[in-house]
Amino acid sequence: MKLSTRIAVPILGLCLISACQKSGVDQVMTGDAANAVYVAPGEYDEIYAFMSGGYSGQVTVYGLPSGRLLREIPVFSKVAENGYGYSEETKAMFNTSYGEVPWDDSHHVELSQTKGEFDGRWLFINGNNTPRIARVDLSTFETVEILEIPDVAGLHCAPFITQNSEYLVSATRFSVPIPQKDVPIDSYKENFTGLINYVSIDAESGEMALDFQIEMPGFNYDLARNGKAKSHGWSFVTTYNSEQAHSLLEVNASQKDKDLLAIINWKKAEEYIAQGKFKERTTSYFHNVTNEATSIVESRKETKTRILTPSECPGMVYFIPVPKSPHGCDVSPSGEYIVGNGKLSADQTVFSFDKLMEAIANENFDDEIDGIPVINFEAGLDGIVEQPGLGPLHTEFDGKGNAYTTYFISSEVVKWDLKSKQVLDRQPTFYSPGHLVIPGGETTKPYGKYLVAMNKITKDRYLPTGPELAHSAQLFDISGDKMKLLLDFPTKGEPHYAQAIEASKIVSKVKKFYPIEENGHPYSAKNEKETRVERKGKEVHVYMTAIRSHLAPDNIEGFKVGDEVYFHLTNLEQDWDVPHGFAIQGANNAELLVMPGQTRTLKWKPQKPGVFAFYCTDFCSALHQEMSGYARVSAANSDIKLKWGLNDDELRSE
Amino acid sequence: MRLISIPILLVSTFLLSCGGGQSQIDKIKAQQVKKAPEPKSLAEAEKNWESDHGIGPIKAFTLPTEIDQVLAASGKETYEAMCTACHKAEEKFIGPAPKGILSRRTPAWIMNMILNPDEMVKKNPIAKQLLMKFNGSPMANQNLTEDQARSVLEYFRTL
Amino acid sequence: MMMSLEANSHNLDKRIMTKSRIFMVLACISLAMVFLFPLWQITLDAPQFPGGLHLNIWVNKFSGSGKHIIQNINILNHYIGMQAIEPDSINELKYFPIIIYTMIGFGIIALLADKKYVYLGWFATMVALGVLGIYDFYLWLYDYGHNLDPKAPITVPGMVYMPPLFGEKWLLNFYAKSYPHIGSLFLGIAIAASFMSFLKCKKHSSEIDE
Repeated sequence: MKLSTRIAVPILGLCLISACQKSGVDQVMTGDAANAVYVAPGEYDEIYAFMSGGYSGQVTVYGLPSGRLLREIPVFSKVAENGYGYSEETKAMFNTSYGEVPWDDSHHVELSQTKGEFDGRWLFINGNNTPRIARVDLSTFETVEILEIPDVAGLHCAPFITQNSEYLVSATRFSVPIPQKDVPIDSYKENFTGLINYVSIDAESGEMALDFQIEMPGFNYDLARNGKAKSHGWSFVTTYNSEQAHSLLEVNASQKDKDLLAIINWKKAEEYIAQGKFKERTTSYFHNVTNEATSIVESRKETKTRILTPSECPGMVYFIPVPKSPHGCDVSPSGEYIVGNGKLSADQTVFSFDKLMEAIANENFDDEIDGIPVINFEAGLDGIVEQPGLGPLHTEFDGKGNAYTTYFISSEVVKWDLKSKQVLDRQPTFYSPGHLVIPGGETTKPYGKYLVAMNKITKDRYLPTGPELAHSAQLFDISGDKMKLLLDFPTKGEPHYAQAIEASKIVSKVKKFYPIEENGHPYSAKNEKETRVERKGKEVHVYMTAIRSHLAPDNIEGFKVGDEVYFHLTNLEQDWDVPHGFAIQGANNAELLVMPGQTRTLKWKPQKPGVFAFYCTDFCSALHQEMSGYARVSAANSDIKLKWGLNDDELRSE
Repeated sequence: MRLISIPILLVSTFLLSCGGGQSQIDKIKAQQVKKAPEPKSLAEAEKNWESDHGIGPIKAFTLPTEIDQVLAASGKETYEAMCTACHKAEEKFIGPAPKGILSRRTPAWIMNMILNPDEMVKKNPIAKQLLMKFNGSPMANQNLTEDQARSVLEYFRTL
Repeated sequence: MMMSLEANSHNLDKRIMTKSRIFMVLACISLAMVFLFPLWQITLDAPQFPGGLHLNIWVNKFSGSGKHIIQNINILNHYIGMQAIEPDSINELKYFPIIIYTMIGFGIIALLADKKYVYLGWFATMVALGVLGIYDFYLWLYDYGHNLDPKAPITVPGMVYMPPLFGEKWLLNFYAKSYPHIGSLFLGIAIAASFMSFLKCKKHSSEIDE
C-alpha cells in the first residue's frame, strides 16, 4: 500500500509537469470554453462549415461549434466506398479534355448568394490541377455538375462568386501558351498568357456555363473576390510573379517590391460581349451535368470560348500595385475596403473602392501593361496596417467593422479595425494558419460569432500518428473584444478555404430520400414485379431491387465468362437513412451505396466459371447478414439459359 | 500524514511554476502587442552581433585558432547532404551564403541557427530580420547533431 | 308594415331554429369532420425512430409520419411474419364513408322532421355503429396480431403481437400507444349533440308546432 502510493506520487508529479510543458499552455481550456463548444447528444450544431479537402479533392462538412465531422462529400476524387465515379451513372463526372481524371486538388468553397447573403442552395468548389469547377446541391449534399475551364493551368484562383450568384470568377495560376504549343520554357515572356474566366450560373437550375474569358499578361493569378454592395459589378484579382519567372519561383518571383492587383469591371465586360467585341476561339472542354430525372451524369464536349482583350476594351481592366506577392484579397462587408494580403510583406495594404473609382475617373495612372492602365498606388490606397505580423494570407470580417487576418509565418490571427487600421488583438494559432473563416464572413452580413483558423502545421497538437498527421483547425469565439480559443479539431485532407452558414438556412431544405415515383432511370425497377434479367449479346442487364432485407432477384444463373454484366440496383425504401449497398466478389471497380429511391449501376465482368456471392454492404437491418445472393457463371460456350428469382418457387427465365 | 503532504506540495509547485509560465507568456504577448523597440532592419540588428550568441543549446565559446581539416572535411560532407537545397557556399540562394559568416556572426549563433532554427527566427533579432529579408523562407531544421553542426561550422571556416 | 314583417320573420326564426335543430346541425357537422381528421392513432416508439412512427387511421384511409408510413411499418412487421397492411384490401375503408354519408343524410331528415324519437333513433344508431366500429377495429388488430407467419425470421413469444386497442404496451423493441384521435372526438360530439337534440326536443311523433 505504502509502496504503491510512493510510486504514484512522482508519476503524478511527472504528468503534471509534462502537461505544463505542452505548447500553448496559456490557452488551456477553461470550463467556459468547454461549455461553449458542447453540443449535447441529440442536439444540432448551430452552423454548417463546409471545408475544402485540398489534396483529397473533396468537401467535408463540420458542425460548429462542436467541430464534429458530419460528412465528406465526394467531388473531384473517385470514391470506391460508395461507387462515386465508378458507377455507370457517375463515371462521366470525371470526363475532361484529357480523358478521365480521377482526382483533383480542391481549394476554395463558395456558397451561392442572393442579395449579398448566403441562400443555402449550392456550393461551388475548384479543381486546381485539371482546371474544373464543381457544383454541389445542398438539398442532397451531392456533386451534380463539373465544368472544365479551358486554356488555363492551375485553377487555384477560383471559384469566387458575385453577390447574386451571377458569376463565378476564376483565373489561371500558371500562365501557359494559348493555344497550347511546343515552345521553349524560357520563351515565357513572349509566349505565355493568363486568363480570367467568368462562369455564369443559371438562377433557377444552378447550371454553370463558361460565359467569357479575359486575356491577361502572363503573370500568376492567385486569389480573387468580387465587389459587393457599393462595389458590386467589380472583381479584384491578385497576381504574383509579375517578374514572369519560370524557374525557382521561390526566389525569382519574389524580387519586386510590388506585384499587381487586377481590377475588373465585369458589367463593362458584359457590355462588350453584347456589342460582339469578343473573339471566338476553338478549344476543347467538358461539361458534365447530372440529369435530374434519371440521376445519370451526361457529359457534353464544348468547343467554343469567347475572349475579350483588355487593350481592345477600354475601361474593363485596371491594375494597382500591391506589396509584395499578394495572396488573398478580401472585400469588406460594405464593399468599400479591399484588403491586399502581401504574403512576403509585414504590412497589410487596404484600398478604398471610392478612391479607386476616383483615381479611374481622374485617370490617375502611372503606367500601362499590355494596354491595361496601372493606377497610382497612393491614389487607391486607404491605409496600411503596419507590421501586424509576418506573412499575412487571408482576411475575413465580422460585420462590426473589424477584420481578422491570418499570419502564416508568425502563426497567429490578428484582429484589426478596418477604419483606423489599428491592431486590436492577436492570438497564436497552432500552427501556421492558411485561410480562416467566419460564418457569413464573405457576405454583406457576416454572422460573426466564431472564427475558424485552418492550420497548415499540426506537430504536437494530437496523439502522434506517425510521420503523416491530420491537419488541424481551431475555433475561436470572436463575440467579445478579445478572441478566445475554444477548440482544436483534426480535419480531413488539407482544408484550404471554408465557408460557414447558419444551419437553419439548409436544414429545412435537406432531402431525406429520393421519391421512387420520380425515379426516371431507364434501368430502374420500381417494384419487385419489375425485376428481371435481360441479355443483349454479351451485355446482361440485371434489374435488381433492394429492400430490408433482401435483394431481388437473389439467385441468378446463366451468366457466361466474357459477359459484361450490369447490376442496376434500385433501393425501394422510402424512409430516411436506409441506404443499401451492393458488392460482388471479384468486381474490379468498386461497390455501390444506393440511397432510398435511387438506382445505381455496377459493371461486373465474370472471369471464370463458378458461383459468386453478392451482398448488401450497408448494415441495414437485423437481417442484413442474410441480405445476399448468388450469381452462377458458366463457360463462354455453355448453353445454360438466364434464370433468376427470389425464392425457389418464383424462379423466372428468359 | 507525510505521504499526503507530498502530493499537495507537488501540485502546488506545479501550480506555481505553471502560473509563473503563464504570466511570462502574457508579458511576451503584451510586448508583442505594444511592439517593444526592436531593430527595424538587418543592419540595426547586426550592430551587436559580436555579443549575440543566439538561442539554443550552444553557449558562447571561442574557436581554436587552427582549423581542424579532418573535422572540416566531415562538415563539408554533412553540408552537401543537408544544406545545399537552399544554400550555395559563395552566393545568395534561397538563404544567405555561408562564406565569411564568421565575420558577421558568432560561432554559437551559427550553431544555434542550425540546431534551433524555429525558435531563432521567432526570437533572435538577427534571425528575425533574416527571415523577412529572405521572403519568409524558413530555415529548415535538418535535425543535425551538435557534433555535426560543429563540423559544418568548421567547414564554413575553410570557405 | 315593416315592423310586422320583422316580427314575422323573428317568429319564423324561433320556430325553425329550435334548440334541438341547432344541436342536430352541430351533430351533422361534427360527423362530417371525420373526413378531415383521423379517428385513431397508433404510435410506435423506438430509439432509432426519432419522434416515433405514427399510423393514423381515418374513416377512409391511412396516414402517418411521412407518405410511406405503411411501407415502412410493413417492412418492420415482415420480420415477425405479420401480414402486410394493404389499404386496398381493407373493405371497411370503402364502406365506412358510405355509412357516414348515410348517417349525415339521416341527420338532415331528422333535422327536417325535428321529432324527439327520430333524434333518439339517430343517437342510438350512432352509438351502435360506434361500438361495432371499435369491435371491427379490434378484430383487425386481433387478426394482424395473431396470424403471424411461422416461417418468419423472428419468432414472437406466444406468436402474438397485437397492439393495444386503447392504451399502451411494449411490443418487443417498440413501445406502442393506441388512442382515439381528433376524428373520434368529433364523433363523440356528434353523438352527444344528437342526444341533446333528443333532450331539448319537446315534440312527440306528430304534434304540430304552434
